[in-house]
Amino acid sequence: MNYKYRLGIDAGGTFTDFVLAEHSGAVHLFKSPSTPDDGTRAIHAGLTQISNAMGRSIPELIQECDLCINGTTVALNALIEHKGVKVGLLCTDGHEDSIEIRLGHKEEGYRYDASYPPAPMLVPRHLRKPVRGRVLADGSVHTPLNEDDIMAAIEYFRRQEVEAVAISFVWSVRHPEHEARAKALVEQHLPGVFACTGSEVHPQVREYTRTSTTVVNAYLSPVMAKYVRRIDQYFKELGAKSPVRYFQSNGGLATGRIMQERAVNAINSGPASAPQAGLYIAQPFGIDNVITVDMGGTSFDITLAKGGQTNLNHDIDFLRYRIGVPMIQVETLGAGGGSIAHINTFGMLEVGPQSAGATPGPACYGKGGENPTVTDANLALGYLRPNAVLGGTIVLDEQKARRAIQTGVAEPLGISIERAAYGISTIVNLNMANGIRRVSIERGYDPRDFALICAGGATGMHITALAEELGVETVLVPKLASCMCAFGQVISDVKYNFLASSPMRLSASSPLEELNRLFDEMEQKGRAQLADDGIGAERVRVSRSLEMRYVGQIHECRVDIGPGRITPERIHELLDAFHRRHEALFTYSEPGSAVELVNLESTVTGLVDKPSLPSLAASASDVSDALESYRDMLFDDQGTVVSAPVYMGEKLAAGHTVTGPAVIEEPTTTLVIRPGWQATLHESGCYRVTHWAG
Amino acid sequence: MQTSGKIDPITLAVVRGALETAQREMTLTLEKTGRSSVFNLAHDYSNALFDHHPEMILQGQDIPIHLGSLIPAMKAVAEYFGDDIHEGDVIYHNDPAYKGSHILDCCMYKPVFYHGELVFWAVCKGHLTDIGGPVPAGYNPAATEIYAEGLRIPPVKLWDQGRRREDVVNLLLTNMRARRDQEGDLNAQFGACRVGERNLIALLDKYGVATVRAAIAELKDMADRHMRTLIRSIPDGEYAGEAVLEDAGHGHGELTIRTKVTVKDDQVHIQVQSPPQVPYFINSYAGNSMSGIYLGLMMFAQVPPPYNEGLYRCVTVDLGPEGTLCNAKEPAPHVNCTTTPMETLTDAVRKAFEAAAPDRVTASWGHASGVNIAGIDPRTGEQYVTMVLASIISGAGATREMDGWHACGPLCCFGALSSGDIELLEYAYPIVIHRYGLSTDSGGAGQMRGGSGTVWEVEPLGHEMTVIAFGEGRQIPTMGASGARDVMIEPKLGRLEVDGEDARIYRQNTITTIKQGERARNINPGGGGFGHPFKRPVDAVVNDVRNGLVSREAARIEYGVVLKDNSLIVDLAQTEQLRAVCC
Repeated sequence: MNYKYRLGIDAGGTFTDFVLAEHSGAVHLFKSPSTPDDGTRAIHAGLTQISNAMGRSIPELIQECDLCINGTTVALNALIEHKGVKVGLLCTDGHEDSIEIRLGHKEEGYRYDASYPPAPMLVPRHLRKPVRGRVLADGSVHTPLNEDDIMAAIEYFRRQEVEAVAISFVWSVRHPEHEARAKALVEQHLPGVFACTGSEVHPQVREYTRTSTTVVNAYLSPVMAKYVRRIDQYFKELGAKSPVRYFQSNGGLATGRIMQERAVNAINSGPASAPQAGLYIAQPFGIDNVITVDMGGTSFDITLAKGGQTNLNHDIDFLRYRIGVPMIQVETLGAGGGSIAHINTFGMLEVGPQSAGATPGPACYGKGGENPTVTDANLALGYLRPNAVLGGTIVLDEQKARRAIQTGVAEPLGISIERAAYGISTIVNLNMANGIRRVSIERGYDPRDFALICAGGATGMHITALAEELGVETVLVPKLASCMCAFGQVISDVKYNFLASSPMRLSASSPLEELNRLFDEMEQKGRAQLADDGIGAERVRVSRSLEMRYVGQIHECRVDIGPGRITPERIHELLDAFHRRHEALFTYSEPGSAVELVNLESTVTGLVDKPSLPSLAASASDVSDALESYRDMLFDDQGTVVSAPVYMGEKLAAGHTVTGPAVIEEPTTTLVIRPGWQATLHESGCYRVTHWAG
Repeated sequence: MQTSGKIDPITLAVVRGALETAQREMTLTLEKTGRSSVFNLAHDYSNALFDHHPEMILQGQDIPIHLGSLIPAMKAVAEYFGDDIHEGDVIYHNDPAYKGSHILDCCMYKPVFYHGELVFWAVCKGHLTDIGGPVPAGYNPAATEIYAEGLRIPPVKLWDQGRRREDVVNLLLTNMRARRDQEGDLNAQFGACRVGERNLIALLDKYGVATVRAAIAELKDMADRHMRTLIRSIPDGEYAGEAVLEDAGHGHGELTIRTKVTVKDDQVHIQVQSPPQVPYFINSYAGNSMSGIYLGLMMFAQVPPPYNEGLYRCVTVDLGPEGTLCNAKEPAPHVNCTTTPMETLTDAVRKAFEAAAPDRVTASWGHASGVNIAGIDPRTGEQYVTMVLASIISGAGATREMDGWHACGPLCCFGALSSGDIELLEYAYPIVIHRYGLSTDSGGAGQMRGGSGTVWEVEPLGHEMTVIAFGEGRQIPTMGASGARDVMIEPKLGRLEVDGEDARIYRQNTITTIKQGERARNINPGGGGFGHPFKRPVDAVVNDVRNGLVSREAARIEYGVVLKDNSLIVDLAQTEQLRAVCC
């Protein structure tokens, strides 16, 4: 088995990105327009490009790949557009409404807004059917399961032509039998209808989170299954040696077999590879604290990794729906190249969250957009090349950008176009910097202790301004910034998270064997899945964590624990770990207080070999060989015009340093170096941007 | 709209963002480090920034109960210390006589100095779980005087020029139950103020005092101009509103709160007339009443964030003579005031604005009507007591644009509250929650329907449980707006129902024992409707019936929509006939 390549395909909303990594170290980037109706068309178009560039047929290429990895927004888009399937919910009698009650909360930012509606219900009330049968907190059965209720609901679902059934009963984590029986009945009487249960999808305490997660999974899985079957078939026909791996929101890979029943696990997979990619990029520089930022057309994603470790979120509102399954923690802001600058009701300049999207897009695209956007500002500031061609068809029209800024911002505020453009840029930078501060400070970290990693095609124009605003001293801009997510996917491992619940006060006399049993069960399941995925036992890694809190607290702390059986002798070690974590997060601990365990988690990872980073040759050439031209640019709010050099990134060699103010143009990204900064190209194909004492 | 030209518009937007970040980081600090569930679960706190005047320059989107009272409280505190305010001072206060809301809401004020000059105040107010006094958690229905409710804290320095006054801190904490929790929350408040201060100083470092002050002045002017534009859109005149506070069992009868809103050009004056104060804990001192007034105003103005004091510059308020329900004076007991009579006062103000601008005012929200539970946990032998937040989640009022949100109240919290998960409650307490769901026909009838209230039904396991029912909206339904009309009143009222051998229904504040095998069911009110229900599209009514939000009977009686037996097929002839009667 001597494979040459690994292929990563990240299907975004606008473009599908391809990363072909050679095991020898070279990385090739390709892009083709996305085809949301049938993902295989975009993939075929991309593979055709790659095939031409590499001089090999598509089947040859695919057969020489050890893995083909696909990140997809299919589940995400179905949720955004509310195009999932028709779902029926079987739930405990009296608890039909928890997804509509949402714990009574309305989101921040709309407190007095009379026109902000609740999130649309993924299951309308008449399809949420009560089932008698009640389990108590200790797992005992208070009322036996009433199968007549289930059969009546099934009959109604049949008449209503329901396509998926979510089953979520109170305390099913303590007693999954009722849900299992209900699922068996559904499968028996509604063949072809997808069914999933709370205790399978998210076996954790908290009925609302579990029910909502199960509903979202039922809503999206049939859509995902359709997609996965098509992609799997396509690659099988090309002779792929191993099943396609899909990227999950937890930052790991999974096969289609898993994905089609757990679409909720892929819901935010797009940016989930960013922290891992950021760490990989930073490795040659000896940096393991990274904040990866990715500015696209409509949004800005922030992820953070500290000490080489990524962060998982467990209980969040995602697109207004509560989702419990572990996801890489991503903060998403409505700040992108297409974000619209406008004057609000108070008369203040705001940028976003409304976006011109890809259509009509920024005014400078000339596709009918009239609102000034961040991209228009970047063009007016000279950062983008006038008349540059994007994606082969769009020609950036500077006059249209200036007109939109003039009408939308400069005139209403009574300032010049230049100052208005700089203002738009300043505001969007501030929004992004505030987002980065939230992400870091929320977890008790100082952003100045991190390197900023630039991902996404638009980020490079803002990255040094962001670093200035945050006081960050090191910025890393890889040449492959615009395909960073696809790159992150090709360096990822196969990873499954397993959850279980076993609330108990923790002491040496607690029923610890129960915990060992649950961990064993989860890990056996994980090893079996990895074996099915073709991963040998020697490549399996297992990590465990416990969610604990002081008795009476509401929020738990997740504590990583070592392997091995949990014995009475080890209890002190676990409790100490909890006290330390609590202190690190919240500044204090209470070693004398009783501690309770709520949830258990086991992460089973199958290690995958990583392709290495490219190694650029040093060169005897001079930086000036890469100088392309000079362009008028603005770097302050006074409207001062500076004639700044523009360099062609492809002509720069390892070790070359460009001093700001300057712009480096790469084929798929533009790096703006503000005055006071300089960029040095590293042999790994990454610019290291730092302050210089000039 | 153009800015006044005194300040660069870009700098202005940057300063706004920096203030918001400072405030948000204060909130974050409190949420992450707060010890009590009132802080970290219910979010019953507010953080605000004031300038040197001191005028409020930014308030977060926390609990509306705190919306107005912080403004006069900050001024009262600053005035108390006069020129004795120094760098490193931290002031604490809860006393309603100094414009606090109720004594459970303890507020910390940290003056922020820059090169020796007072520039800002970072302020953090939060509901502590206990404030001493005879009843745990502070709600003492037997109190006839404020002195019997708990510890009053007039403005007092906890830190004096950087030195923590251990004696004073100790004095306060000695008077509170669960000292460790209270001390933890006090530290959390201090942390929040320091985080706010750190951010504000960074802002001053960057732009200097003069520029920041100019930007803040402009932000307040903008808010002022915005509110004046809204007020100017109302025809000049006097508009009256009133709302009735039902007798929740205190024996003082129904109490009517009246308001008069006078609009002249771009100014508005709000006059309150309320009955004399009563020796029961439903009196509201001036600070808390300002919250009720401002929330009523916001139900008309619906202003998006950010919120600063400029919004209220064109608003003058007369709370009526001292010694009345909405302008209480010592020794009136008051602890229940943040819900009752605050919600009734809010409704009275809202009604006056509805008279002024019938199409634009949000309908009333369901008032707080819920339960506390207490008992001995048979699993541990330990005593437990808790306020059941889930039980007060009522329905939101409908608006011109849309139906009210289900399960979003009560009015005084406006969606900011978050109830705990039922499994967490069942794990923590010896109970089984048989129902936490929407209540059929509870939403006010209207062209836009009020949001549904909720039902919370509980059974004690292996012990007898004490249920303490409190609140409002159990005799008078939530008020609709703009022609909304309820016919079926009963399902729209809050109440406590007990099933079992001794079945009973309570519509007043009560304390009752639930035996094993019995179930207690708390029902709270839905939100008010908006517009005449006969104008509601027939399809929407049918959909509500399909979803069990509206019964077939209510569809006919309240909405004039007749369905053929046992189906969702509309009887067009009968529907037309019914609907023709009214409009």
